[in-house]
Amino acid sequence: MIKKVFKNILFLEIVDGLSLTFKHMFVRAVTEQYPRKKRVLPDTYRGILSLQKYDDGTERCVGCALCEAACPSMAITVVSGEDEKFPQRRFSREYYIDITRCVFCGFCVDACPVDALAMTKVYEFSSYDKNDLLLNKKSLLSLGDTIAKGGGMTPVERKYKFPMEGETNKIESKKEEALILC
Amino acid sequence: MEIGLKILVPLIEISVVLGIVLFHVAYITYFERKILSHMQDRLGPMEVGPHGLLQPIADGLKLFFKEDIIPAGADKIIFSIAPIIVLVPALIGFAVIPFAKESITIFGLTFKPFITDINIGILYIFAFASIGAYGVILGGWASNSKYALLGGLRAGAQMVSYELALGLSIIGVLLLSQSLSMVQIVEAQNRIWFVLLQPVAFVIYVICAVAETNRLPFDMPEAESELVAGFFTEYSGMRFSFFFLAEYANMILVSCIAAILFLGGWHAPFKFLEFIPPTIWFILKVYFILFFFIWIRGTLPRVRYDQLMKFGWKVMIPLSLANIIVTSIVLYIVRG
Repeated sequence: MIKKVFKNILFLEIVDGLSLTFKHMFVRAVTEQYPRKKRVLPDTYRGILSLQKYDDGTERCVGCALCEAACPSMAITVVSGEDEKFPQRRFSREYYIDITRCVFCGFCVDACPVDALAMTKVYEFSSYDKNDLLLNKKSLLSLGDTIAKGGGMTPVERKYKFPMEGETNKIESKKEEALILC
Repeated sequence: MEIGLKILVPLIEISVVLGIVLFHVAYITYFERKILSHMQDRLGPMEVGPHGLLQPIADGLKLFFKEDIIPAGADKIIFSIAPIIVLVPALIGFAVIPFAKESITIFGLTFKPFITDINIGILYIFAFASIGAYGVILGGWASNSKYALLGGLRAGAQMVSYELALGLSIIGVLLLSQSLSMVQIVEAQNRIWFVLLQPVAFVIYVICAVAETNRLPFDMPEAESELVAGFFTEYSGMRFSFFFLAEYANMILVSCIAAILFLGGWHAPFKFLEFIPPTIWFILKVYFILFFFIWIRGTLPRVRYDQLMKFGWKVMIPLSLANIIVTSIVLYIVRG
């Protein structure tokens, strides 16, 4: 009882609260100064999708449309095509991703047998025009180039983006070429 | 020539004091936002100028160019006058606040460190401060809005009930200093600050001052989560900023009074610290109390309306009355 009265007279509970807020004045703020300072993204960040090329510049996509089948929100449309001279060499004639429908689940990347699809770390793609967000093959390929522009990939990132084979692809693409030509 | 000087010197003093006060009013909003954000692990204004230092200017400009809306159902004359009734009493109190001890002489003109030293200084401030409550009530009434009306009524009730305790809490100080003049009150604290002789009165004064300026945890009149913005819900543009300025000017005014009545005004706390100019000491004390107000705001939640009234009438007023009685008896015995 006396203790309680004493506590009330000296505002001990309020002093407790005051000391807490005072301490927090010297705690580092959690605010990110976003447009000027950007966060370091994790290697497995799932940003906008992109089409990848082999290191020699040829397209990886073979137009199998497995990504289209895997997509839960039906954002992907693939029109498959084949080379007239070499019917074995299939490719995507047209490739569309409606990024407004994309849920960034990454299922298409998992489905791709040749690591043609990869998720970049690009997340600033807002636009005034909705048509800009329907990505065609050209914009997807240029998005793929942003990875190389951003200083390439860390080993962890590379492993995440190209889980099938990674480095060996370049050699295999050459091998394939030779096979077809002869 | 003589008469000209007699008019010129006070005019310069008034403009300087008003300029300094308005500058501090603008920047206390910045400090409040900064301190509150850092208490909540945020950064606060950062965009305008280095660390957002020009934010008050940007805010002022923005408010200046906003449309001045008068609601259709409002009482136009009272609606326009109310912000002025609130702001003027808040600024007029600074006329008797002494900032330093000695007068300064520039170009042969002698400037006092205060605009005037009337022998009822503290009474003058409290008399004018209570006029501010009229502006709040009238503004709430004239808006013809339920939120504004409720806010105005709450503000009126709160300001009237806490003014009583506020006025009673300083009587102990007046008994000790035997004067109502601000300068003489400060000079009476030459040896010992009144906060040491009147600790209870100081606590009552600070609590009532927070309530009087309608700030958290006693911001019932505004209570943005309940009443939108309270009595100035319908106000916009410069009229809104008048209310806003008045709130912060009142905050600085009550802090100045607290520094003068309890914390020894311009006196240094110890003899060896007297090399620091008295004005600096005064400003430090005022800013300490202002910081305390902001600190309280960052810490405590809003009290309920009935708790506020109960606290005011059943705790604060009896306590301050008891303080007066005890002080009078002790003084009677000591002074004979």
